[in-house]
Amino acid sequence: MTAQTSPRTIRIEAMRYNPETDKEPSWKSYEVPFRDDMSVLQGLQYIKDHLDGSLTFRWSCRMAICGSCGMMINDTPQLACHAFLRDYMPGPVRIEALDNFPVIRDLVIDQTSFLNKLEAVKPWLIPKTPRTPADGPNPQTPAQMQKYQAYAQCINCLLCYAACPQIGLKPDFAGPAALALMHRYNADSRDQGWAARAEMANAEDGVWGCTYVGECSEVCPKAVDPAHAINQNKANSALDYFGLGKMLAPSEGGK
Amino acid sequence: MGRHQAVAKTYRRVQPVDWGRSVHRRRYMRRELTSVFLIAYALVLLFGLWRLSQGEAAFEAWRASLSHPLALLGHAAIFIAALYQTISWFQVMPRTLPDSQVKPASITRAGWAAAAVVSVLVLALVMLGGGK
Repeated sequence: MTAQTSPRTIRIEAMRYNPETDKEPSWKSYEVPFRDDMSVLQGLQYIKDHLDGSLTFRWSCRMAICGSCGMMINDTPQLACHAFLRDYMPGPVRIEALDNFPVIRDLVIDQTSFLNKLEAVKPWLIPKTPRTPADGPNPQTPAQMQKYQAYAQCINCLLCYAACPQIGLKPDFAGPAALALMHRYNADSRDQGWAARAEMANAEDGVWGCTYVGECSEVCPKAVDPAHAINQNKANSALDYFGLGKMLAPSEGGK
Repeated sequence: MGRHQAVAKTYRRVQPVDWGRSVHRRRYMRRELTSVFLIAYALVLLFGLWRLSQGEAAFEAWRASLSHPLALLGHAAIFIAALYQTISWFQVMPRTLPDSQVKPASITRAGWAAAAVVSVLVLALVMLGGGK
């Protein structure tokens, strides 16, 4: 029981950047007392509440579902609420804004490029004929739902973009989350939007921008497996090129 | 691209890709590196084909050169790289196939088995063909 009576401390090194005064980011260290149940996010909140109120970072749910607190923790993209300070003993914990994104301030990135990519894959149901709520429920079987359910778990936290070396090399590459969500809708039995999304999928910045490093799937906190979504669609894209439609594509989501 | 406008003032970090940063990236680079050895082997074979076009003497000279210790060493390296590529590519193959009920490990093992069967068949063909 004595272990809990004297709180341990760990050094957190945070990247700081103030667009109004700084030419480039710098690092600042903080000694943070912590308990075993404290996440890295709670460590940052301790800094903000007790040591330096100017430290800026995004967060909301504290339970790995809102996708707000993605950051580089010791060079690995992670949700700060999903990583525990105890696992970084004896420290230091080095926290940086997510790789491959412009920095707005401190640990806050500009997500604009992702929002545009996401919109480009038309991540919504495109039925054969337009539907209204008056049409009633649009049912599907558990088996039909299972075809896309894993890909629907994406919380847009952008860890996969920070992990992907191809995003670093080719910023216009649509990237893991956007392509995984494209597949999520293509695989949905209620969707007939394959053709509308094909141009984006077949482009060099679409599925072919991926060289299958696979790190996106490793860092995903929701086990979405973007690498699987992208790489199974390379076969579909190749068949599409030869006019063979989508032999391998998810059933019932086709043209 | 798109209707969303970027934040006016941001800092863009210069971030060269660190290919050694994680175990996954290192594994990927090893897997990709094997293709260099396979290209080298293709060039060796193409060179042999070119020598064949020059007549029997040239072709036999090329065959004899393959017995050189350096050539044997090179072939051993190529063989190991090819073996590594066979193993590693079938490990990542499940994610290139459509979602199915088949377990990823089963797909990988099926790939390895197919590679083994084809290798044995090719070896038998060469042995039975009486290649010197």
